[in-house]
Amino acid sequence: METLISHQREAALSMTNLRLKFPGEDSLLFKDLSFSVNKGEKVLLLGPSGCGKSTLLQVASGIVPNSFELPMKAEKLELPDSWGFVFQDPDTQFCMPYVDEELAFVLENLNVPRQDMTALIVAALERVGLHLPDIHTPILELSQGMKQRLALASVLLMEPEVLFLDEPSALLDPEGTDQIWTSIQAATAEQTVVIVEHKIEQIAEWIDRVVLFTDDGAILADGPPDSIFKDYKEELIRYGIWYPGVWDDYLDSKAFKTLSENRSSISSVEVLHAEEFNGYRGKKSVIHMPNASISQGSWVTILGENGSGKSSLLLSLMQLLKTSGSLHVNGKQVVQKKRRRTLPAGLSLVFQNPELQFVTNTIVEELTISLQGMSSMGAVSHAEEMIELFNLPVSGNRHPYQLSVGQKRRLSVATALTSSIDILLLDEPTFGQDARNTFAILEKLESLRRNGMTIVMVTHDLNIASNFATDCWKVADGKLVSCTRQGGVADARLVYT
Amino acid sequence: MPAWFTPDRETWLFRVNPALKFMIFVLLLLITLFTRNLPFVSWLAVLFGILLYGFSGYPIRKLVLLSIPLVISFASSAFTMMLFGKGDAVLWQWGILKISEESIQHGLLLGTKSLTFGLVGFTFLLTVQPVLFFYAMMQQYRLPSKYAYSFIASIRLLPLVVEEIHVRTNALKVRGITFSRGMKGLGERIQAYTVPLFAQSIRRAQRIAIAMEAKQYQMGAARTYYYPTSYSRIDVVFIGVVVVSVAGVMLLAFGMN
Amino acid sequence: MKKLTFTDLLITIMVGVVFGILMKFWDDLYTVVKPMMPVARQLLYGMWFMNGVFAFLLIRKPGVALIASIAGAGLSAFIGHGLEVLIYGFAQGLAAELLFAAFRYRKFSMIIAGLGGILSCAASFGLDMFYGYADLETWALVVKYGLRAISAFIFTGVFAVLIVRALEATGVTQSIRPVAKEEYSLLDR
Ligand SMILES: Nc1ncnc2c1ncn2[C@@H]1O[C@H](COP(=O)(O)OP(=O)(O)OP(=O)(O)O)[C@@H](O)[C@H]1O
Ligand SMILES: Nc1ncnc2c1ncn2[C@@H]1O[C@H](COP(=O)(O)OP(=O)(O)OP(=O)(O)O)[C@@H](O)[C@H]1O
Ligand SMILES: [Mg+2]
Ligand SMILES: [Mg+2]
Repeated sequence: METLISHQREAALSMTNLRLKFPGEDSLLFKDLSFSVNKGEKVLLLGPSGCGKSTLLQVASGIVPNSFELPMKAEKLELPDSWGFVFQDPDTQFCMPYVDEELAFVLENLNVPRQDMTALIVAALERVGLHLPDIHTPILELSQGMKQRLALASVLLMEPEVLFLDEPSALLDPEGTDQIWTSIQAATAEQTVVIVEHKIEQIAEWIDRVVLFTDDGAILADGPPDSIFKDYKEELIRYGIWYPGVWDDYLDSKAFKTLSENRSSISSVEVLHAEEFNGYRGKKSVIHMPNASISQGSWVTILGENGSGKSSLLLSLMQLLKTSGSLHVNGKQVVQKKRRRTLPAGLSLVFQNPELQFVTNTIVEELTISLQGMSSMGAVSHAEEMIELFNLPVSGNRHPYQLSVGQKRRLSVATALTSSIDILLLDEPTFGQDARNTFAILEKLESLRRNGMTIVMVTHDLNIASNFATDCWKVADGKLVSCTRQGGVADARLVYT
Repeated sequence: MPAWFTPDRETWLFRVNPALKFMIFVLLLLITLFTRNLPFVSWLAVLFGILLYGFSGYPIRKLVLLSIPLVISFASSAFTMMLFGKGDAVLWQWGILKISEESIQHGLLLGTKSLTFGLVGFTFLLTVQPVLFFYAMMQQYRLPSKYAYSFIASIRLLPLVVEEIHVRTNALKVRGITFSRGMKGLGERIQAYTVPLFAQSIRRAQRIAIAMEAKQYQMGAARTYYYPTSYSRIDVVFIGVVVVSVAGVMLLAFGMN
Repeated sequence: MKKLTFTDLLITIMVGVVFGILMKFWDDLYTVVKPMMPVARQLLYGMWFMNGVFAFLLIRKPGVALIASIAGAGLSAFIGHGLEVLIYGFAQGLAAELLFAAFRYRKFSMIIAGLGGILSCAASFGLDMFYGYADLETWALVVKYGLRAISAFIFTGVFAVLIVRALEATGVTQSIRPVAKEEYSLLDR
């Protein structure tokens, strides 16, 4: 599949007939995969969630097997010496506790003299738009999107020859996504860049080549973006992969038409009401809600920039942060005790970081543990249904951590759909998903909503806000600044201008 | 470090190069370890007591609190040896318990030694920042960076365990998992927390190591330091103080017989 | 056998540090019990030998038992135990390490783990003799070190093994241990 040009240019990395499996698994993840990238090329890896994109990046950088051993072999394996990596999970990529120390660690490794460090650190933070009052800020106190920016800053500092980016913008707000891609483009004109990304609108223009993967980790197509998106549209749809314009197609589809035709109206019963409500981290108020209420059966999306306080809002409603002010759930006043807070009845939450959701050792247990009322047969069949619906590995005995990031996300959403709850809070439930799974999650939520559940969801995806939500909330600088009914396209766009 | 471990004032001991301080203290401990002379060890204990109480910059209240285990440990090593130790000049015997002159001598020696060890350990710990200590060990004594960073990372992981407990509590709450009452519930709780906490710490350590290598950390490669450490005049003062006081202690101990 | 990677080293040292802290708390308990119940205190002693054996059972690579043992002892030396602990840590870790090496780092059973503990115990006995902690009447000596060896076996052969098995169920060990040779041969199917 190599083009003429690539024969002339030097390869930045290449592998021939790679075979790889996870220990204890029966099947191979990659079977005789050959893949190479030329110097200076910008390549996008596209494929359904769980097909092995992250693993391939780790092999291509040498993280597997140098830092992390997996059974693998290849006929030929030529890897770059100088490379940088932005990992998919923002919580797995820092080794120092403070922002400045993290960036300084990179500079130390590069042997940069001490007197140059501070200026370089400040400049790098500026480039990715991470504005902090003090660079000696604990990384623990950053929001997820802010962490992703920091990860990018440290990679840009390295100025590596090859950059591996594993969904760098999955958790960023739209402005941040633009900003990040602009700075990556500016910083890497000469370098080789290998990207895994679902949000492809911003980069479709910039990349030279798209490599398309099937479900089972084989390469389906490889070529310039225009022709791939044109010639392989059918496969893109079949495998449920994002392509430019997928939302338009979905909105035209039968599935969505039937969904939107008879949208049940929202009842006038108020299920949640907050007044002069504050959530605190330590002594600092991170979210303030002057006055907000939610009616039963509505679908509220919460929009706002990275670090504005969206996650804090959900955690406060859930009583996982210290709060003050008045909060009513299902008509009952929520008592805000200082210690040993109990969760308001009828409320459940899906955390932004899926790993925070897991409490057991296997996928099936994870799906059945909250079903205490149900018979064990019923519970298992429910688990099977969820595994099928959300495309999770069929051997449900794997540990929840032994999944791809997208699969973890879906499992964590699925666990919350099991219990009988009235109001479900979700923190970016669709990040890092391929198209098929995004729509599967949304449709499942919509069907629950029709059965009377109320949905409150944080997202950066304006398409969701305008096509699924009934209400749109906007958070800025730690304050809930507006609540609008029937968030149409226009309303959602307003938030980010 | 938690707020409890910040001193009221930073004394001159804080400004001594941490790696040098470590080496000197190790030397003093070795001396203590290999002497069997009770007066000498006792005077050393007094010396370190003065160092800890007078120059660590912590309020007496905290220091006393910290010293309680030291006193207990002194008493317990001393008494066991006194009661069960070998000896011919028997002073008192009751069943298997026997106190002899030798065993008293020996017991006191052991007790005082463990007291000295404790005092030195605290004086060091309370007046040093772990991160700076390892940076100094790399810069002044060429400790391989792989060990230094492994220790720095491990020590920094410890407070995260507290965070992890918090996370787990939240997860269990959100997922609606409840525990029985009484002893059974306690057992369930221990099970729901300990092994996952251990697993999480290991996983976190692994991720940190991978992140470090992904940031082009290489074992044994040349590097610069964000926190430069060096020797200064205060180090000379420190060595002077130690030499003079140890000489003084020797005089007191050996000069009198 | 595979060399230690940086990841292995960091995990080993972290295990050592965690045990160093645990041993400090254990020691506080131990000092209270020591003068009151001489028998019980010997039965608690096995905790001191757990560190290296545990690290080895977890990571299963050469050098791990020794390094973890030194790291743990080094930490506990400075949070109140004194430098001699470091020497003990070295000797105990070395004893266990030699045992595992004798079985070419391929045996992880309860018996081997327990034996590792007992050998560590023997090493600490050697040092006790040297420092004068063993200047006891003969009968006291036999009782003391006999109980201590039993305790060593219980802590390393039973407790450490059980904890590691529980960790295996969480899948975390799979990613830090060397991959079995059979796994590589499965690649050719
Ligand atoms: N430790 C493990 N043990 C067994 N299987 C694993 C383990 N980790 C990942 N897998 C499986 O390997 C496959 C590839 O995972 P990978 O993370 O590379 O997927 P991905 O293409 O990056 O997906 P996503 O888009 O969701 O991030 C997945 O099907 C996953 O379930
Ligand atoms: N653990 C923490 N301790 C202290 N401050 C925190 C902590 N987590 C977040 N913050 C701060 O609280 C503010 C709000 O964070 P929050 O996580 O709610 O943002 P967010 O809107 O969810 O952002 P994102 O879109 O990036 O997830 C931020 O300024 C952040 O720095
Ligand atoms: Mg991935
Ligand atoms: Mg958030």
